[in-house]
Amino acid sequence: MAKPDGYIEIRFGPRWKYISPARVFIQNFIAIALSDQAKADAIAMATSELLENAVKYGASEDTHCIVQAYPDTGVIQASVTNQATEKSAGEVRALYDKIMAGDPLEAYITQMREAATRTDGKSQLGLVRIRYETGADIQLDITPTHKVTITIIVK
Amino acid sequence: MNKLNIASVSQGKIQVDLLDNSEGLTVKFVGDIDMEDPSVILDPFFEKVHQGMVAHKIPFVVADFHGLTFLNSSGIKAVAKWIMKLAMLPPDQKYVIRIAHNKAITWQVTSLPTLTFLVPGAVKIE
Repeated sequence: MAKPDGYIEIRFGPRWKYISPARVFIQNFIAIALSDQAKADAIAMATSELLENAVKYGASEDTHCIVQAYPDTGVIQASVTNQATEKSAGEVRALYDKIMAGDPLEAYITQMREAATRTDGKSQLGLVRIRYETGADIQLDITPTHKVTITIIVK
Repeated sequence: MNKLNIASVSQGKIQVDLLDNSEGLTVKFVGDIDMEDPSVILDPFFEKVHQGMVAHKIPFVVADFHGLTFLNSSGIKAVAKWIMKLAMLPPDQKYVIRIAHNKAITWQVTSLPTLTFLVPGAVKIE
């Protein structure tokens, strides 16, 4: 991929109160970089969902978000990295494998129905929502030390 | 106060009101639903609305999202949980949720129509 024309990197301790300003900042950044409000809204929603997961399930202070814009092609790449426990990294892998299988809308509806009956406080809708609503290519990388990176590429 | 005597709820950046309209009721959302656990306020509110709709045999309720600027997936879960209650009702107690949405807000265009697939016939998009 060519060198991005726009690039931002955000690192913060995992606190819920930082997610909303991060979302607004990313939304404005993409809207300016690409002059595409709908894509800016979609990426802002997606990164917000990823940051929520990072804050909820992070095992350390360092949550790391990178957003890169390629105005020539209209491509946006965004990634969120956080340190997870072995258990939560395994849960992310299992969820990823589940929601990436099959039709995006069917997976979303199935996951919503399951979410409605969950009693553990989790929704597990973030990734499947991103997949269906943005049409993103979603990549998951988990290191041997359980550092989790989720990258989305929207064309 | 509305005909079901259900009080508004608010927390952080969100306020949810139940309003009377000429044909039934409107649940009006204003603000952002981006808190960590929106079910704390939404689940009891939706349960009251659901029980009231059934008890008073009100045929429809409008869920007005025009003023809602963001809804996270935990909020979607709460709305889905409300909709799924309709699947459990016998035919003579069913009501319809009519979703009013703002086409200028991207997530509303992509998120809200998916709710119509949860329970066939229970949700319509206006």
